[in-house]
Amino acid sequence: MNAITPIDKGASVALGAPIDVTIENVQKAFGDTPALHGVSLDVKAGELVALLGPSGSGKTTLLRILAGLDAPTAGRVLFGGDDALGLSVQDRNVGFVFQHYALFRHMTVFQNIAFGLTVRPRGERPPKAEIRKRVLHLLDLVQLTGLDKRYPSQLSGGQRQRVALARALAIEPRVLLLDEPFGALDAQVRKDLRRWLREIHDQTGHTTFFVTHDQEEALELADRVVVMSKGRIEQVGTPDEIYDAPASPFVFEFIGESSFLPVTVLDGAVQLDGRPLDLSGLGAPSGTATLGFRPHDVSIVEDGSPAITGTIVTERRHGGARRLELEVGADKHRVEIDMPVDHSRLAGNQIAFRPHRWRIFPR
Amino acid sequence: MSDEAFTTARLPGASAIRFRPVTMERKRVRVALILVSLAFLGLFLVMPVVAVFVEAFRGGMPAFAEAIFEPDAAAAIRLTLLVAAISVPCNLVFGLAASWAIAKFDFKGKSLLNTLIDLPFSVSPVIAGLIYILMFGSQSLLGPWLKSEGIQVIFAVPGIVLATIFVTFPFVARELIPLMEEQGRGDEEAALSLGASGFQVFFRVTLPNVKWALLYGVLLCNARAMGEFGAVSVVSGHIRGLTNTMPLHVEILYNEYNFAAAFAVASLLALLALFTLVVKSVLEWRYADEIAATRRH
Repeated sequence: MNAITPIDKGASVALGAPIDVTIENVQKAFGDTPALHGVSLDVKAGELVALLGPSGSGKTTLLRILAGLDAPTAGRVLFGGDDALGLSVQDRNVGFVFQHYALFRHMTVFQNIAFGLTVRPRGERPPKAEIRKRVLHLLDLVQLTGLDKRYPSQLSGGQRQRVALARALAIEPRVLLLDEPFGALDAQVRKDLRRWLREIHDQTGHTTFFVTHDQEEALELADRVVVMSKGRIEQVGTPDEIYDAPASPFVFEFIGESSFLPVTVLDGAVQLDGRPLDLSGLGAPSGTATLGFRPHDVSIVEDGSPAITGTIVTERRHGGARRLELEVGADKHRVEIDMPVDHSRLAGNQIAFRPHRWRIFPR
Repeated sequence: MSDEAFTTARLPGASAIRFRPVTMERKRVRVALILVSLAFLGLFLVMPVVAVFVEAFRGGMPAFAEAIFEPDAAAAIRLTLLVAAISVPCNLVFGLAASWAIAKFDFKGKSLLNTLIDLPFSVSPVIAGLIYILMFGSQSLLGPWLKSEGIQVIFAVPGIVLATIFVTFPFVARELIPLMEEQGRGDEEAALSLGASGFQVFFRVTLPNVKWALLYGVLLCNARAMGEFGAVSVVSGHIRGLTNTMPLHVEILYNEYNFAAAFAVASLLALLALFTLVVKSVLEWRYADEIAATRRH
């Protein structure tokens, strides 16, 4: 695949103004199995929103409802303030990009991209020369100049996905929807395409939703991340908010690396096995709670001040750090902490540490 | 990959190591297996086909031509072509509709439909013929009404067409269903989201995606439609020059000890089989490519 170069800032794609998208209490059940339990979300015009969650979280269902490929059991979807659910998939004017590209295999790249224009009724169809101009322009935009006569089977995965995006952009969609667009690609191509998609978005300004189960992708690419689990929205926020202030243990665990310990909060202070840890309860009410921290947000305690003490079970190299797996307390809860690489402790030794950033989730 | 690279591997400081792919048998075994298959094919397939043509031309070209252009034989050929020309398009439409329904959307009774499509494969063709006699014959419920309306189904062309359609209806559907299921609904959804109407999706996306499989199914369907004997034999009534198809005509000639004529007409059927085989191989070669392209997606 060609290296992906920055987009020519002079190029532009003719577009209507981007629109707001409002999702109000959308519910969906497949037979008796609920897939979405009342999801509400406001997305501003031109935002790039990631729907992030594990499989079965309902993120793809929500995307397909926005596209009109599925209908919700209840709820409302507004495009720019107007009801969208009353519109058929054809009339909704959304660009949809599929995980497995769904390119038409018997058509050339050119015919694929032109498809949405050539199927328009005679009166609305642009003249041939205009279609040609627009397709070639889109090919430039997705950096596939000169590949218009190829067939999809003659392209790499990354190239196919770029054709799929160009095809979706050709109809001048009001909203762009991407269903795990990089899911079928290998890691390096994924990273390149991610950056490239962000640039395309900044240039074209579509209100864009993309579904992913890759938190790194979501945090890097999106203006706002919607974390979903079991058909519900767990949290909506900027990548910083999601990473630094996760609203639930689920979000904390799903985004980034995490360790958890059961603790008690007493008068605003955290206790582990009845001993104070010198950690604030962060406003949590007294009672049992879960302490969460990132493995890299800990410091070793060697002066005997209050700390979490654990027995080292294993240690292994983890990127730029050395990761220790510890057993903590009488119940032998497993937690992970990161130490500098030159730090060397043998398995079986005790180690005391305290997180310097943490979250408390009441139970 | 070259044969050499496949069978030998050179290690530094070691002589070449012979390596045989683990699933490949010893040479003796391989040769024996191939010979057995060839002998079997020769005995049961090639020899009979050759025999048909030898017998057909035993009396020379004039006798062959006379056997084929004789009025009853010509009528049988015309009838066979007519029956195929009606039943194949019917099954084309039915096969497309059924496989579209089964592969592209969910409905109650889908698996039942899927099973029923195979019925003609599991029912004896003779039974298939009898069913139509029981339905449309003079002893049937519909019989008196058909008679009063002057419609003759049994022992006439309509009965032969019905029996042929019944026997051949799985061929197109059976080719299309697995392919359409494998291709999934993604292409159709993409086309719809791009604004295509239902008709446009069908003619521009779905049909081109299955065109080779469709042609293949039609070919098999046609070969069977022209060659069907059992079901047609039951409903035809064997009226010379009227309700005899080619296979039935061959049987009659043979029973009359008119071997030269029987083999002459039979050679036409054999020719059809050979033609089908060649086109089928060409299609498989093309079609395998398309399938491979599908898998690569």
